[in-house]
Formats: sequence, structure tokens, C-alpha cells
Amino acid sequence: MGSRSTLSQEKLLQAKIPGEATGIEIKKTLCAICDCRCGIDAYVKDGLLLKVEGSEKNPVNKGKLCAKGNANRQWIYSTERIQTPLLRTGERGDGVFAPISWGEALERISSRLLKIKDESGPESVAFFAGFPKVMRPFLKRMAHTFGSPNYCTESSTCILGADLAGILNFGYATGPASGAELNSARCIITWGTNPFHSAAPQAITYLDALERGAKLIDVGPLKSPMSDKADIHLRLRPGTSGALALGMAHVIIEEGLYDREFVDRWTLGFEEYRAYARQFAPAVAEQVTGVPKEQIIAAARLYATIKPAAIVTSSSTTTQHTNGVQNHRAVLALIGLTGNFDRPGGNHIVPATHELQATGLSHRGHEFEQARPWEEMAARIGQEEHPVWSKLTSQAQAMALPQQIQSGKPYPIRAVLGFGLNHRMWAGSDFMRESLGKLDFFVNTELFLTDSAKMANIVLPACTSFERNELLITPSRFAFWTEPVIAPVGESRPDIDIIVELAKRLTPEDELISQGHEACLDWIIAPAGVTVEELRKHPGGCPLTGCPETGYEKYQEEGFPTPSGKMEFTSLILKEAGMDPLPVYRESRLSPVSEPELAKPYPLILTTGSGLPMYDRSRTSCVPWLKQLRPDPMVEINPLDAHARGIEPKQWVELSTTRGALRARANITEYVPPGVVNMSHNFPAADVNELIDPNYRDPISGYPGFKSLLCEVKESQVQAEYS
Amino acid sequence: MTECSFFFDASRCSGCMACVVACQDQNDFVTGDTVAFRHVSQHEEGVYPEARITSRSFSCQHCADGPCLLACPMQAISRRPEDGTVLVNRDICVGCRSCELACPVGAPKFPEDGKMAKCDLCYVRRDHGMKPACVRTCPTGALDYGSIEEMSEKMREKASIRMLKGSTRSSEEVD
Repeated sequence: MGSRSTLSQEKLLQAKIPGEATGIEIKKTLCAICDCRCGIDAYVKDGLLLKVEGSEKNPVNKGKLCAKGNANRQWIYSTERIQTPLLRTGERGDGVFAPISWGEALERISSRLLKIKDESGPESVAFFAGFPKVMRPFLKRMAHTFGSPNYCTESSTCILGADLAGILNFGYATGPASGAELNSARCIITWGTNPFHSAAPQAITYLDALERGAKLIDVGPLKSPMSDKADIHLRLRPGTSGALALGMAHVIIEEGLYDREFVDRWTLGFEEYRAYARQFAPAVAEQVTGVPKEQIIAAARLYATIKPAAIVTSSSTTTQHTNGVQNHRAVLALIGLTGNFDRPGGNHIVPATHELQATGLSHRGHEFEQARPWEEMAARIGQEEHPVWSKLTSQAQAMALPQQIQSGKPYPIRAVLGFGLNHRMWAGSDFMRESLGKLDFFVNTELFLTDSAKMANIVLPACTSFERNELLITPSRFAFWTEPVIAPVGESRPDIDIIVELAKRLTPEDELISQGHEACLDWIIAPAGVTVEELRKHPGGCPLTGCPETGYEKYQEEGFPTPSGKMEFTSLILKEAGMDPLPVYRESRLSPVSEPELAKPYPLILTTGSGLPMYDRSRTSCVPWLKQLRPDPMVEINPLDAHARGIEPKQWVELSTTRGALRARANITEYVPPGVVNMSHNFPAADVNELIDPNYRDPISGYPGFKSLLCEVKESQVQAEYS
Repeated sequence: MTECSFFFDASRCSGCMACVVACQDQNDFVTGDTVAFRHVSQHEEGVYPEARITSRSFSCQHCADGPCLLACPMQAISRRPEDGTVLVNRDICVGCRSCELACPVGAPKFPEDGKMAKCDLCYVRRDHGMKPACVRTCPTGALDYGSIEEMSEKMREKASIRMLKGSTRSSEEVD
């Protein structure tokens, strides 16, 4: 320590040491690049962000950050940030805009939307929320007050599909990770999820569980740090989760390992389910899934005999298939079958409070959002094709938006007011882009001038989480109200403030929203006995105490909130909708089994969108620190398949499906099993979603089958890098 | 002198690369060709279905015999007396890259100015009671830092726990 006093101020500044000597202050905020929303210590000097670190007292990340979180400074200060509201002066898509004032932008947007409402009805305006999620309740309220049922979000391909399965089985939205209690589970199944790369700061929970002696079964086609640590890795063919779960159910039932008491008293349709599962005896399940039958039997016994046991599900990997919801229902059914539903150390159901965070606190979020009942509005986008989605979720199905823009059926969609809308999220993303071009009026709110923003008439500059206020209440009931730690970049504004300003013009009758962000939050969370003013006194957040905990086995008193009051192996809602009430397994519509002829020219299975540690889809593609970690688009292919095609490492290859082709480098790796090809979403110019048909969707949820279809890979004619 | 070093637990490294970016955020070498003093590499062995993929995070090892130190014709590289951290004096460095050739782990980097830059084990942070940036952020706890005695003790403890766990695990093996 002798050198401490001798260190020059320059050295201290260079090392970014906070304190009086340097004038560097640590301010508390959170990262909103992904939905983990980790606590951040922002090192700030003279209004400038110098460095970030994870907040040690924050229960979400306990001081840790992932690669993306560590890159916040470069993301926030990216030269590509939009500085002012922009009015398009060139052709749609070519990115020529003129800066305009906020006053002019808001005036142009509100007058145009009100005119379209007058001419074609409020439903002809769709409202869309991408990331972040904080603005969602505000946008939904404004949409419905305006009179449009067409509030839709990025959840049209994310967590809601899994929630649908939960509601159909149990009457509860099971939420992220299905409420798995990792701290006390003695056996854990991770089903299609790799938190080491998608939620890195939380992955340590699994390592701790393993050190505690918990057993781990990992399910998924891809290798991951999770599968390498697992006692059993069930490496199934993409799209066959349903068959695997039914195969496990068969073993559990026929060996008498299920929870008879729970099943007898609390379930509907067990005999039909049992009879159906008989079709998936281990040898059959092996044939369908590719998982050796010995492993299926071992996993079923392990999961059913160790108590308590929890299944950790993914938000999307099991549901982004053409049979996604039913596959996911089959997985969730195992939780009830083994008596682990809503029990300690199993899967505990905690209702969501604000923005889908499962806290179990009382709140008025639904009353706030659903400003007008559905009956008083037109049918939602996608309602005709996906009636179960519309019955069980509180939004329109955005995946059906481009089709309705193009067909004008059942009524025209003329305008979209978007917040973080990115057409690359859609299957057939080029079709969505083309559809945006057919709108009379499109507004997008963004950090960067994305290819979607380039299609807009007006682009509004949004702030990052460091530049705004934000409320977070975590599932562990840690409440956190952030103050801005730096001034907004350029003239950018918080999304919620933009919505409030628009609401003053579009829905002046709404007195509550016009009072602004804080007043609305206070109204929503009042029943929990929390106010923003109180939370402001605790920079960095505080635990909420004194609120009743969410109990276990809630069904004992209330029954299940399903039509039958029981857990439904046979769903009455699906039956009424004319669909299979059982969690039936169907092959993906594009698979070697369902389309053997097509599988001749396209013999490989394509699975897309698995998380990379340095990217969250294309969101951080403009950050050099992250981009250098994976500069090119890459297709993962197994050495066996690469060798059979004469493909060399890093060579440029053509990935093709029945819909199109793209160019990427071959990443020859055991990460994928033989016969399977993976492509992630980091590189906008090589957008794999363009290779998937916009109608390749699950009829129940409307989700695209992003994670299993057919493809081929061959050497590309062009061996040059993308310019 | 209490010699200090990094500690790396390969069984915990997930290849997430948080350490690489934390290093860049700590050390401002923001150029077109950005420089990190850590890098993460992946290693695959075996073939399906037995394949394994492991990750490793590398940086300057602050070696006791300091090959870079011996190779430097300008004596720009030295060991910090307090803890043995190997440091470069960039005012003296002429960018001859002798250290690069001598280093067994590829630690010396050469940003735009052509002079050598390398991991300094965040010694100024450590002097102020803070951990090196990469250690501080490592999500799985694969990286740590401390005196060599402390780190060997930690490694011994981990190894013995792993062995004990290993024997428990095999007796419970599922068939």
C-alpha cells in the first residue's frame, strides 16, 4: 500500500478510482439491454459515464455483469445514436431524414393518427412495443383509450407462448423459468435453456445448486456449459420436446412413479393422457427424438423420484415450433404428474405484478392497461387465426400484422406507432419490411437508425436506461427506482415520457396518464403500499417488507383457475376451440419425417436464434467491443456434416431453405449435433428469419417455427466478407 | 513481497467473455482496432456424442521468470516490488515487439500508438481495495485474484471437494 500516496491524480483517473481525488462518483442504475435488468454502478465524472460495474447489493446480478452489460458505455455513446426527432425526406428505406423539433414531431404524429382514426376507425392504427418493456403498460393504455384493440409486442414470439401452455394446463401463466425454485430443488431439469450465455449473472445459481449436490438433467439439441455439467444430457432433435416429455411421462406412469394423490384429486383427463403417452414408449420416443431410450428412462426415474424437483423452461425454445404450445404443455404436464406443481423446491407459481415480473404483490396493472374492455373494440389482429391466443392473452398477435397490412382483411391497418419495432423479429422478415412500406403512416422510436426505422415517416430518439427513471420490482421483492445517471444523449427522451406527450394529444380525456410516469406508477402499485417517493429514498433499491408472501399449493383452497377447477391434461379451452385437448405431439411441419421428399434437397434441420453471450439478437450489433468477439455471421455445422460437404473451417457457405438463402461463415463445431445447423441473429445483413415463411406458425399461439425447419448448407460462390 | 496472481477455475468458465469486455471498459483503448488484455478461447475435444467444449480465459500471467522482462532491450518492463505485478512503462517502450516474441501467452498488445500495452492486474484498483475489473465481473466466479499462497489454498480446497463429490456421485450413478 506504500505507493498509494505516490500515485498521481492522472494514474487515479486512468484507473477510474472513485472519490474526491478524481471527482468520479458512483451512481446507481440498471442495464436494460436485455430483460434481466441487472443493477449497475455507473462511474460518472462531470456528467460523463466512464465505466460500469455490477451493483453488489442488487439481488438480480450480485455485482456481476455479462459481456453486453459491460459494454453499456460503448452502446450508450455509440456514434449511431439518433440525436433528434427525424422526418423522412428520402424514399422509404434509404435512410434520408431531416431533423425536426419535438413539437413538430408530436404534432405531425398526433394529427395524422387522429385523421386516420376519423377516416378508418381507431383499429386501423396498431401500437407496437419492442424493447425495453417498461413502457408497455403505458402504450397499451393509450392504444385502448384511443379505441384500438391492436396493442402488440415482442412477446408475440417470446414468453407468452409458454404462458399460454401454463394457462391451458394449470390456469396460471407459468412465467419465465416456470417458477423453478433453484435454491431448494434437489433435481433440476433445464429444458432448452442456457442461462450461462443468455442471463450470465444468474447462471451461478446453477453452479451453486450443483455444488450443493443437486442432480441436473439438461434437455436440448445444442451443447452448452449447462449440458457439460449435467448428469444426463437429453440431446433431442429440434422440435421433439413433446415426444420426449410424453416418453418420460410413459415411464413415470407405468412404473408407478407419479403422484397418485395429486393426480386423483386435482387433475382432469389422466386416463386419456396415460393412454396417449403409451404411444411414446421409450423405444418409440427414441425413434422420434433421437435420444437413446436408456437415457429417457434414467431421466424420467431421476426426475420423478428425487423430491423436490424443478423444471426450468425457456421463454421460447420449446414454443417456437409449429407444434410449440402443445410441446410445451407436454413438458409442463410432467410438473403436475410428479407432484412438483406449486410446491417448495418445485415449480412455484407467483403471479406477475408489473411488466410480467412475478412478485405476487397486489397491484392495479390490469386496470391501468385495459383502459377499454375488448367488447367495445374491433377484433384484434390475428384473432381469427389464433382464437386461443386472443382469448388467453391481453394483446394482438403481431405475427399476423404483415398479412393484415397486405390483405386489408378483416379491416385495413393504415398506421403503426412503434417503440423499438424491428422487422427482423418476424418470420419472413423481408415480408414484414415490405408490409411496413405499404402503411400510410409509420412511426418508430429507437436508439439507432435500424433498417426498420429507415422505413418510418418519423423516427423518435429514445433514451437508454441510464438516461431515464425506471421502476423495477424483482421476484425477490427488491424494489428499485432509478434516477438518470447521465443527461439524455442528444435530444433523446424516455419512451414513457414520449407516450405521455402523445397521449395528451391523442387521448386528452385520459387524465391519469397526462399526469406522467410517476403518478401512473403510484396509481398502479398503490395496493402494495409502495410509492415512488418512498423508493426514491433508497438509491440502489431496497427489499420490500411487510407484504404477504405468495403461498404454495394455492389450489388446495382455491382450486385451479381452469374451466374444470383442476389441472387439465385434457384442456377444455382447446376442446371448445376445436383443437386437440391432449398435449399431442406433431412433427414440425418442415421436418425429415413430415416432409421426406423435401428433405432430399434440404436434408439438414435448421434451428435459429440461440443466444450468444455478446449479442441480444441484433440489438448490440453496433457495439465494436462486442462485434469484435464475433465479427461475421456464422452458421454452426457439425464436423461430420461439414466434412460430407467438403466445407472448411471459416469458409463462406450458403445456407438455404425453401424460401431463400444467405451467406455466412461455417463454424464447424460439436456445439450442434450431426444433422442440425444453427444460426443466431447477430448480423442484420445475414438475417436468417428471411429464410422462414411468414405463415410457418403454430396455430394456437401464432408463433413462428423458428427453431425447427429444413435447410441445406454448401460452399458459397462468394468468398468475400460483407462490406 | 507477497506475490500476487490470477486464479482461474476452468470448471466454472462458461466462455461468456464478460471478462474481455470489462477489461476494455476499464482500460480505455477505444480505437478502430480495440484492445482487450484478456481473451477467451474455446477448445473442443472428442466427437459426437462424446464431445466436450471447454472455455478458457487468458491474460498476462505476471510470470515469476518474466520472459518479456528479460527480452525488453529498453528495460521498459519491470516487476512491481510490492506484489510482483509485471508492468510496462509506456514512456520508455519503443514498440520493438521483442516482448511479444518472448511471451508464451500472447499478452503484449499494441494499440494504435505502436507501444506495448498489457494487463497491469489493475494494481491501482487493488491499492484502493477493489478487485481487478475482470475478476469483479466474472459471472460464474471462474476468475479470482490474490496472493499465490491464498490462491493455491483455494485450488487445493476446490480439488479435494471435487474428489469427494466425485466419489459420492459415482455411488449414486444412474443406470
